[in-house]
Order: sequence, then C-alpha cells, then structure tokens
Amino acid sequence: MSPQRASAEGLLSRRVIACVGAGGVGKTTLAAAIGLGAAQRGRRVLVLTIDPARRLADALGVGALGSEPQAIPRELLSQLAVPAKGELFAMMLDMKRTFDELVTRFAPDAAARDRILANRIYQHVSDALAGSAEYSAMEKVYEMSARPEFDLVVLDTPPSAHALDFLEAPERLLGMLDSRLVQLLLHPAMSAGRLGLRLFQRGAHQAFSLIERITGFGFLEDISEFLLAFEGMSEGFRRRAEAVRRLLFGPDTAFVLAAAASGESVAHARDLLARLEEHGAKVVGVVANRIRAWPDGAPPPLPGPGEREAWRDDLTRAFAARHGGAFPARLAATAALDVLDGYAAAVSRDGEATAPLLAAASLRGCFVRRIPELPRDVHDLAGLAWIAQRFFEEEQEQP
Amino acid sequence: MAERLHPLLARRLVVVTGKGGTGKTTVAAALALAAAARGRNVLVVETGRDENMPRLLGHRGGPVGHAGARAPTGPWMMRMEPHEALAEYLQLQLRVPRLVSRVLDQRGFRGLLDAAPGWRELVTLGKVWHLEQAREGGQPRFDQLVVDAPATGHGLTFLDVPRVVVSAIRSGPLRRHARWVEELVRDPERTLLLPVALAEELPARETAELVVRLREQVGVRLDRVVVNAMQPAPFPPELPDLDRRIAALPATPGPAPRTWAACAAHLASRHALNRRFSDEIGARTALPVVELPLLASGVRGPEDLRTLAAALLAGEGT
Repeated sequence: MSPQRASAEGLLSRRVIACVGAGGVGKTTLAAAIGLGAAQRGRRVLVLTIDPARRLADALGVGALGSEPQAIPRELLSQLAVPAKGELFAMMLDMKRTFDELVTRFAPDAAARDRILANRIYQHVSDALAGSAEYSAMEKVYEMSARPEFDLVVLDTPPSAHALDFLEAPERLLGMLDSRLVQLLLHPAMSAGRLGLRLFQRGAHQAFSLIERITGFGFLEDISEFLLAFEGMSEGFRRRAEAVRRLLFGPDTAFVLAAAASGESVAHARDLLARLEEHGAKVVGVVANRIRAWPDGAPPPLPGPGEREAWRDDLTRAFAARHGGAFPARLAATAALDVLDGYAAAVSRDGEATAPLLAAASLRGCFVRRIPELPRDVHDLAGLAWIAQRFFEEEQEQP
Repeated sequence: MAERLHPLLARRLVVVTGKGGTGKTTVAAALALAAAARGRNVLVVETGRDENMPRLLGHRGGPVGHAGARAPTGPWMMRMEPHEALAEYLQLQLRVPRLVSRVLDQRGFRGLLDAAPGWRELVTLGKVWHLEQAREGGQPRFDQLVVDAPATGHGLTFLDVPRVVVSAIRSGPLRRHARWVEELVRDPERTLLLPVALAEELPARETAELVVRLREQVGVRLDRVVVNAMQPAPFPPELPDLDRRIAALPATPGPAPRTWAACAAHLASRHALNRRFSDEIGARTALPVVELPLLASGVRGPEDLRTLAAALLAGEGT
C-alpha cells in the first residue's frame, strides 16, 4: 500500500464531498450514508439530495421540494451514536426553481427579470438549457458550503447522460454568452474596423444565414432577444460561476465515485475517473456499490466437480433426519445446492465485473470500498448507518 | 393459419426508454436479435457516449460509430453521433457542402452548439425518421428500427423535443421537419415506446411517473412495461421456507448452515422485493408487465440475449 493513499477519514476535513457515478448505482443512498457517517464523527453535515426514494426522503425528513435544510431530530441521531456536536441536515434540490432564482438574483432590475422569465425561448429551454439543471445544483452547493452552520456538504450529483456534464456546465454557459458569435447577434451594429473582425463577421454572417435558412424568419430575433435579456446578468453570473469552479476543483472538495457491478456501469465509471482527473477534480474514493458478497466476507468451501453427489447425499440425509420421512429431502438438497451455485455465480460475476475499476482506482491512490448488496432496499437511518460503517471503518484489502 | 407478428416486432420503430442502470441497452439488443432471428432487417441505434451493442451482439472489432455495421448475429447497429447527424441534415437541406462545413468548423458556432439545448435530441430523432423513410428498390431499407433512448429523465425530453421545437419556432423548414418527426413519434401504428424498469422502490416510482407523463405530454403509444433483472424464485414452490430449514440443520457439507441459509435468505428476499415492486409497476401504470430474469452470470453476449429475448416475446405472436 502506498503511503500517500487517500482514506475515508481524510474526507472529513473537506467542505464538499461530491458523489458521482452513472444513474442507478445508488449515489443518493451513498451520499446520505456518508453524511450520516460524518455526523457520527462529530461533523455538522448537510446532505444535498436530488431525487431520493420516497421512504429514504421520509427518513431524512425531506419530503417537500425546494425547502430549507431540514434537521434530522436529535433523538434519532443519538440512537445512531451521533455525538452532541454532530448534526445532520438534508435538503432536496428543485432544479427548475433554482434556475428561476438565479435569473431573479442576477437580473439588473425587475423589468429585465420579467423579460427573461416571459421570453418564449426561455420558457421552452430553461429546463433543457445545456447544463442548467446541473449548474443550478452547483450554485446551491456553493451557497450552502458558505453557510457557517455546516462543516461539510455532501452532494448527490444530478442524473445526467454523462455525469461530467455538471462540472462543465458553468463553463459552457459562460462560453456561450462570451462567444463572439453571440456578441454579434446581440450587437449587430458593432463597427467593423479591424481586418480580423471583418473576417470574423463574414464567417458569422454565414453562420446566421445558415441558421435562418433552416429555422425560418424570426427565430434568430427570438434568440437574440433572449440572449439580450441574459446579457445584463452575465457579469454577476460569471463571477459566481468562477467561484463555483474554484470550490469544486480546489482543495476543499473531494469526489467519491460509485459504480454498480455491471459491465456498462464499470466502463462508464472508468471513463469518468479518467475524465475527472483531466479536469483536475480530486477523486479520493471509489465504491463498488451493491455487490453480491459472501455473508461472512470470505468465500466458504464450495463443492468440487466430483463432490456434488456426495454433498447432495449428505444434505438429503440431514434433511430427512431433521424433518422425517414425508419431507422431500432430496428435492430440498438439490434446491439448496442450486441456491449455493447461484449465489456463488453472482458473487464471482460481481467481483470480476468490478475488479478492473477497483484496480485502476487503487493505482491512482484512491481508497476503494466494496459495499455489499443488502437483501432489502435501504430506506432508513439504520440502513444508512450500516453503509456508513462499511464506508468509513473497513480498511479493506486492496485489489 | 396466418402467423401473427408479435406486437414488439410489428412496429416500424421501437424506442426503448428508462432510467440509467435499468438495462435498456440489453433489452434493445435482445429485441433486435429476436427480430433478426425471424429474418427481419433490423437496425439498433445507440444514443449514449458508450457503445455496448458490438459486445452484446457478438461483433468483433470494436466500436462501429455513426457509420454503423452489421453484427454477425444479424442486426445492423450504429451509435448516433449528433454532430455528424447535424452535418448530414444541413448538407441535405442546403446542398452547399462548402458553406455547411465552413460554418460547422467555426469555433464560435461550435461553442454555440455546445450550450444550445435540444438540437442533439432533435437531429437524433430526425436521423431516425430519415432511416425509417429510407427505401431501397421500393422497399423499406429497414423492417424495424430499435432505438436505445438516452438515459434518465432526459428520456422524456428526448421524445418531447419535436413538439417543443414546433411550438418555439414560428416558420421554416426545421419547423416542418420537426412536425414530421413528431407525427412519427405519435403514430400508434408505426411507433411503440417500450419502458424498461427495475423492480425496486425508486425505479418503480420513476417508471410510473414516466409512463403517465409520456401518455399525457408526448402522446406516444405504450402497451407494456418491461421489468428487467427479476431475481427468479430461488426455492421450489413446495419448499417456501428452505432458508430456515437449512439454518436448522445440525451440519452441512462445505459452508456452515448459517452461511448457507444466509445466501438462500438473501436470494429469497431479493425475489420477494422484486415481486412486490413489479406488481406495483403493473398497478401504477395500468400496463401489462413483461418480466425478464436476472441472469446470475450477467449478460455476456448473444447466448444470454436469446434467453432474455425468449422471455421478452413469450406469449403473443411469433
């Protein structure tokens, strides 16, 4: 083991922990469990969640959308060994509302705000505006991480076609507002003094004429009205986006990457791991989540090819001795062997599927965790505490 | 006796949708394989960044990209690349290749595209429409198209984009073309949407919500829900408490009775959980549920897909 390997304990000194991964890998539950684990270690934690399962939302007290952070009651925390100084809050993000709030906050005046909110393009695209949901989530993280009542914000990242969309969202939005093409659309009368600009304008006019030929008359006007309305707020927006960027990629934020045990999920996670590093994000932990594992940790003895019949006979005798002659002992013995085969196949398949990811993560100095699948959905604080224990306490053998 | 084509094979276009991690791609691949096995000329379209079809359909030689290729098991496959689909569309519309490529190469234009919403979905569906229309010697180029829709809630946006474009743009060719695409999506004779869910709490709820919104907002035809990765009943019906009976044995060969029983109880409990939420999906969507088994060793290739395809098509038609 390399001496500089990251540890789960090391996460506790950060201000933000972002859980990333493809959809359906259990990010929401993992984020909540990390939050609880940090509270158990004396931190004042806010879990920002995107779309928790109903019973998990109820357990966290965040049934309502877009509300303020909700505190998990002290008596519940005490039962889970959270010390007096540890606190746990949860809050659900409402993406659409956050974007409207952003417009409201950065619009230079009420008239500009109303112009944006009423613009037909805005109404159609604000849901879909590239990365707007992701950007809004980042905004909220920034706002919450600056609040003095929290030591740590644990973030469940938005579901997106690619989990990196959310990191690139601020830059993409700024890039669009800053682009000369957009500037020219905003200020068509911009004087064409210099040669470079004239050349650029020729290219831009080609682009506009192409757009117009496809979209018909009037579309560019609607777009420029929309962009013009945005322009007034772009300065505040820009400063904020830059601050969000510094927080995410700075030393105060750590990323935990989660993957499930399917080939697709693992391929996605490996790609994400490489790309996050390219962006300068610090991935400190990788979790293979909901892995089928042996109940005692270590694999039990399994029947060799020549032993099966002997095992079946032994089991048949044991069932018959226990339950009497009328009991279908041989059927039970066969079913028991099938169960063991099925379970062994699942364990080895999940292990093989996740091994390459965990090996790659380990080489990069990340800590790795295998969190076993539970027989039931995790939907209460006790279940979260179980996951938190595996996440924080189990120093597992590295692959 | 006239053979009746299975409803899933009788549509020109099947859009497989669902949240990430539900196994949409596997279901799309299984359907394409089944169609090809019945002699149908089928194209399966992937829309994400990752390309899984070649591996699933037994194609050696890595990614096939936008240009596509035919798998040795029969189906054609491609991974939609929106930039290429856009270039194709513009070339087709404007017939001035130099202008189109010059504009598409502009840094400013690319920056605008990076941030602009909806166009990827629109050109993807536009290309699908175009492929549906394609004819060779008077016959359709493809008997059937299977689209593995983008993951997550974006699956809804995906099919709704043509409608939004039609209402956001006042005139011009794009509006007209978006309307054609919208007509294809809403045509119950040609198009079927196939949602894929997992029988767990959150996916069950999301699927129910998705189905309601698809019906009301997009107006697309749905006639069943696929519930994927169902843990099969681990015990024979006459031994419902096998796990407890194993635990009660004084000794077992190999694993201790307690360990053995814990494995059995785990599978039984996953089965009960899947059973409960599969039933809930059926009740909340008011649609028939088609259950696909969880394969203990995962989906490794065409052999496993055939097992799933048989379950997918069981019961109706051929």
